[in-house]
Amino acid sequence: MKTTRRTKPASDEELKPSRISPTLAAIISAVIPGLGQMFTRNFRRGLVLLIGFFSAAGLLIWRFILVARRDVGFVDIFTKGIRLQPVLLFLTLATIVLWIWIIVDAYLSAKRPVGRAVGLFLILIVVYFSLGWQIGQVDLVALVTQIDDAESQVNSIAWPWSRAITTPEEYLEARAILWVPCTDDTPPQPPREGDEAYLEITPNCGDLGEVDGSRGTPITLRGYGLLPNAEVRILWNDPLKQVFTHREAGEFMFFPADENGEFEVDITLPYRLVPPTTIGAQDWTIIAQQVSSTGKPEPSLELKLAVEKMIETIFIGMMATLFGIILAIPFSFLAARNLMSGTRITLVIYYLVRMVLNLVRSIEPLIWAIIFVIIVGLGPFAGILALTIHSIAALGKLYSESIESIDSGPIEAVQATGANWTQTVMYAVVPQIIPPFVSFTIYRWDINIRMSTIIGFVGGGGIGYLISQWISKTDFKATGIAMWFIAVTVAILDYVSAEIRERYV
Amino acid sequence: MLEIRNLTKIYDDGTRALHNVSFTVEEGEFLVVIGLSGSGKSTLLRCINRLIDPTEGEIIWNGVDLAKLAGEDLRKARRKIGMVFQHFNLVKRSSVMNNVLSGRLGYTPAWKSIIGRFSAADREKAWTALDRLNIRDQAHKRADELSGGQQQRVGIARALMQEPEMILADEPVASLDPVLAHSILRYLEKLNQEDDMTILCSLHYLDLVQRYATRVIGLKEGEIVYQGTREEIRAMSDQEFKDIYGEEAERVGELVGTTGA
Repeated sequence: MKTTRRTKPASDEELKPSRISPTLAAIISAVIPGLGQMFTRNFRRGLVLLIGFFSAAGLLIWRFILVARRDVGFVDIFTKGIRLQPVLLFLTLATIVLWIWIIVDAYLSAKRPVGRAVGLFLILIVVYFSLGWQIGQVDLVALVTQIDDAESQVNSIAWPWSRAITTPEEYLEARAILWVPCTDDTPPQPPREGDEAYLEITPNCGDLGEVDGSRGTPITLRGYGLLPNAEVRILWNDPLKQVFTHREAGEFMFFPADENGEFEVDITLPYRLVPPTTIGAQDWTIIAQQVSSTGKPEPSLELKLAVEKMIETIFIGMMATLFGIILAIPFSFLAARNLMSGTRITLVIYYLVRMVLNLVRSIEPLIWAIIFVIIVGLGPFAGILALTIHSIAALGKLYSESIESIDSGPIEAVQATGANWTQTVMYAVVPQIIPPFVSFTIYRWDINIRMSTIIGFVGGGGIGYLISQWISKTDFKATGIAMWFIAVTVAILDYVSAEIRERYV
Repeated sequence: MLEIRNLTKIYDDGTRALHNVSFTVEEGEFLVVIGLSGSGKSTLLRCINRLIDPTEGEIIWNGVDLAKLAGEDLRKARRKIGMVFQHFNLVKRSSVMNNVLSGRLGYTPAWKSIIGRFSAADREKAWTALDRLNIRDQAHKRADELSGGQQQRVGIARALMQEPEMILADEPVASLDPVLAHSILRYLEKLNQEDDMTILCSLHYLDLVQRYATRVIGLKEGEIVYQGTREEIRAMSDQEFKDIYGEEAERVGELVGTTGA
C-alpha cells in the first residue's frame, strides 16, 4: 500500500530504536511533557516540547496570579482570572490540548519513526500568541468603540490649517476711574475730546458687593465715540491691577453699541476680595472694550514656530550626519577585518572597536539624548550629540563591512602597474568604497532627520519638543501642523535620497 | 631574457605551491604554462612581478634579480611587466578611460595621480591603446557595462600603457567563450609578433596552446613536468596532453563546433 508518509528517515536519530515502550513514554510525558520523547529516539523534539510547554505553562500561571493578585487558593485564583480575562480560559484549554497532544506524540514516537510535528508546534505557537494577546492587553473592542470619541482630535491633527493663520485683533477702549469707597473728593475724570472713545460713570464712586450676596452700588455707564453696532464688553482693572470681565448676575455682559457708536447700561459694582489693610479710596478702572478683527491675515505663532523648529530639526540631522561621517571613517578602518587581521595586536583592536560599536549602537538615540541633555543641557546640541554617537556606531559598522567586501583584484592589478601605496589606494580602493559609502551616508542622513523629529521629546531640540508640549496642552491643531511638516519633510527626503542613491550608486 | 632559478614558494599555511622551478624565457617568446588548477601557474606568474613574494630562488630579468627588489626599484621593474588577469581585475565602477590610464600610474608622480591629472601624452597613449584593441567608442562607459571580451581588452590596454617588455597573462581567456578566447589571444599574439613583447601565458585548452604557443611548460604540483617546443606541442596528441594536464583537459574546438563558430 502506498502512503504519503516519507519512507526515508530525516536523520540518524530516527534510525535508532526507541529505548522505552510506547506506554512508558506516554506516562513519562504525562508527568513531565516532552521527557517521554527524549527517551525515545527524538531527543531534540522532546527538549523543544519540554521547554515550550513549561515556559508556556509558567507564563500562564503567572498571568493568573497577576490578574487575581488578592486571591489565595487555586480555585479562587482560577475563577477570578477567567471572570476578569476570558482569554485565560482559552489559554488554559489550549495548554491542556497541548499536554494531551504531547502525550499522544510520545506514545506514537516510541512506536515508530515519526515525521515533523507540525500540528504540535502549531498549537505551541497558538499558545504563545494567545499569551502575547493577553500580556499585550490587546483590546480590539476599545479600538472599535472608542474611535468615535477621538474623532474631533483626530480631525484636528489631520487637517489643522485653521490654526495656521491668524488675523490680528484690534481693541477700541474707553476708560474711566471709579473710587471705592466714596470720599469727599471725586476721582479725576479727563474731559471728552472730539469724537474719541469716551466713558462716563455716574456716580463715580461706590461700594463693592459683599460675599454674602448683597449687591454693590448701582452705577450707570455711558459710552460715546465707539464703533457703531459693534459688540461692547465691560472689564474691570482692580487696584491690584488684575483685569477681569464684568459679570452681571453671573453672566458675562456683551451688548452692541447703537448706530451712533454710543451705549448706556446700568450695572452694579462687583464682589471682589480686597486686602483688608487697604486704607482710603482705591482706584478701580472700568473699561468698555470693542474687539475688531482688522488687518491682513498672517501666519500664526504655531505655524512660525513649526517652521522654525522644522528647520532646526533638519539641521540637527545634517550636523549629526556630518560629525558621524567624519568620526565613523577612522573607526571603520579599525573595524575592517581584512585590514586588521595582520598581527595579533591589530586583531585585538579590531575586536575591541567592533565591540564598542555594537554596544553603542544597541543603545537608542533617545537614551543618548537624555544622557547628553544632562551634560550639555536642553537644546539642539544635545540632540546632535545623541544622533552623532549613534551614527558613528551605525556608519562605522556599515563602512567597515563595505571595506571588508572590496574586490582585491583591482588592487593587485594596479600594484602590478608599478603604482605606489597611495596610488593603489586612490585608484583601486577608493573607487570601490565610495559608492557604498555614499549610499550608506544618505541612508543615515535620512534616518537621522527622522530621528531628530522625536529627539526633542526628551529635550534634544527640534520639532519634537514642540509636539510634546502641544500634546501635553491637548492642542491637537498645533500638533497637527507640526506632524504635517514632519510628514512632508520626510516624504521629500525619502524621494530625494532614493533618487540620489539610484543615480550615484 | 628571463631566467627563473630554483623558485620555491611555500604559503603561510604550509601549502607548497612551487618547488624548485627553473626555466628560461628568451625574448620574444610566447611561452604557455599549462597545468591543473592548483598546480602553481598563478603563483609562478605572480612571483615574477612580485605580487607574491617567493620563498626561495632567483628571478633574473635583464640582469637584475627581481626576487631581491623592494620599494622604488621594484615599482620601476613592475612598470616594464604588464599583467592580464583571468577576471580582468578592472575597477568596475570607474570608466574604461580611467582603468586604462591607471596603467600609467608607475610613470606618474603620486600627487598628480591623486588629483587625476595625467599628461596629454598619456591620454594620447590611452586613445592609441584603445584604438589598437578596437574599444575607442567604449572609453567613457563604466567598466562593468562592457562585455567580458571587451573588459579583457581594456585589461590588455591597461597593460599596454606600461609600454611593457613582457606581459604576464594569468588564464586570460578562462572566463570567456571560445570565440572570444581566440580574439583575445590574437591580440596577445599581435603584441608578441609586432612589438616583440615576451608573453608568459597560462592556458587551459589544448588547441589554444597548440595554436599560439612557441614554447610550453607543464606544471604539476608545483614542479615542471613537461617542456616542449612549438613543434613538439603541435605533434602532441590529446592523450599525451591529458597525461600532463589531467582528465579535465579539453579542446576549445569541440565547443566551437557546438556554438557554430
